[in-house]
Amino acid sequence: MIFDSYEAYKQAGFKPKACILGSGPAGTTIARKLGAAGIPVVVLEAGSREFSDESQDFYRGKTVGDYYFDLDVARLRFMGGSSNHWAGWCRVLDKQDFEPKAWAPDTGWPISRADIEPYLGEVHDILELPAFRPDVSVSDDIRWVQLIKSPAVRFGEKFADELDQSKNIAVVLNTYATELVGDGKRVTGAKLWSTGDAGTFTADYFITCTGGLENSRLLLWSNQRCNGGVVPNAAALGRYWMEHPTFEGGNAVLANYNEFEVDASSEAFFSPTLAAMERLEILNFGIRLIETPYPNVKRLIADLACTAPDMAEWMSSKLDQNLRCAAQLYVAWEQAPLASNQVELSKTDVDHAGVPRIELHWKKSPLEHRTLLEGLRLFGITLAQKNLGRVRIADWISNGDDYPTDEETAGYHHMGGTRMGTDVLKSVVDANCKVHGMDNLYVGGSSVFCTSGQCNPTTTITALACRLGDHLSKVIAV
Amino acid sequence: MSHIIKKMSRRALVQALIALPMLSLFRGQPAAVGPNEIVEVNGWILRRSDLA
Repeated sequence: MIFDSYEAYKQAGFKPKACILGSGPAGTTIARKLGAAGIPVVVLEAGSREFSDESQDFYRGKTVGDYYFDLDVARLRFMGGSSNHWAGWCRVLDKQDFEPKAWAPDTGWPISRADIEPYLGEVHDILELPAFRPDVSVSDDIRWVQLIKSPAVRFGEKFADELDQSKNIAVVLNTYATELVGDGKRVTGAKLWSTGDAGTFTADYFITCTGGLENSRLLLWSNQRCNGGVVPNAAALGRYWMEHPTFEGGNAVLANYNEFEVDASSEAFFSPTLAAMERLEILNFGIRLIETPYPNVKRLIADLACTAPDMAEWMSSKLDQNLRCAAQLYVAWEQAPLASNQVELSKTDVDHAGVPRIELHWKKSPLEHRTLLEGLRLFGITLAQKNLGRVRIADWISNGDDYPTDEETAGYHHMGGTRMGTDVLKSVVDANCKVHGMDNLYVGGSSVFCTSGQCNPTTTITALACRLGDHLSKVIAV
Repeated sequence: MSHIIKKMSRRALVQALIALPMLSLFRGQPAAVGPNEIVEVNGWILRRSDLA
């Protein structure tokens, strides 16, 4: 069932056991799992079926620190959530992303990749993915990895008919919780907003799936309003927020190679081995190699001629034989989880419902610049040693200059803020995504990520949502 | 040290000084630079042989 207003929903007399906030990949997936298990669930979606400026305005905010995108364009507030502008790139976090790393504080998850692998079959059905191929070793340091360019499932579109026909799932549009109310043990209700104050709503269980920024905002505000009654252990709430910084890192000239293939978009992706990360004490990264058009090849060879004339001459002769010999290198990398990177509530600015807007504190760390530089070096050394090609690192990286402000900057990937863990001082939810100290409050989505890895988060978000959906099905059915 | 030098004959001292440069022969020789050694020049990651 889909209702366009809270009024219409109330008249239907639906009695849910669980309330999910948000209809993005996490919220929709958990709702479908609960619905399939015969558990009545309501999904509150703040926006409507389509994009609107009025709805997006609730997402305006401010960033302090490094340059970042405007917060009202970095995510979407309508049915299907940010899957509506997702590019569709898919990969699950690596096994090593879940492991603690001695050289990077506060890394490591309370679960391993093996805990989400049983759900990858479902994820492939949901996201319409072919099977992943295993990583291919290019050298002891570098893996050729796969990012599947999927059809980019828009959850609101794909599952609208299924949700509408479901007897166990009610989706209520244009309705959201401005705050949860809790007594330090349980959430006792949610204050709703649906074109105005809509009163208090109750359910046995609440699952917040409002996104990697908004989950923190909702819980921070709720906790502030009821003196810690929603997140009793709030030391880490809003903290350890992460993105995938993304910049053009340089270029490559490529000889003929059989070690890897480019995909239909003329792209290939590379990441470090765990051994290389350990040896250099760096974080995970992904190099996106994009074959470039002919004029860029000539420019690159002219640059090389100043440094290595013979190499340039050889490359020129290659150019006559084969145009496939140059590439741009984009690098996205794992961000160190830092408590100082955090979502805070604005002290001066509120939205139309009176909820403080987000003030995002975000800064890249020196470890990340080293990951970028050493990562490109690793890739360059691999290509040179194997005579697959040569790499030129961008000057601003080699020279340690500031990050450019006219580039891609980041991946629109919002992770952390309600991270998973066992230490209540450094995490917000446990291994089952339940808020520490609360009996009936769970969190879905990338805000529970402890580390970001280097890949796009949607595949892992969906896998975690399948896992949480299964867990809740058992808990609620009891 | 000065005690030892006082006890040495002038001739022995001169011979020792003349022999000093020979010591470098016993030091570790620098590794031979191979054509496949990786170097970083102007941002390029190259083999040394690329610079020929």
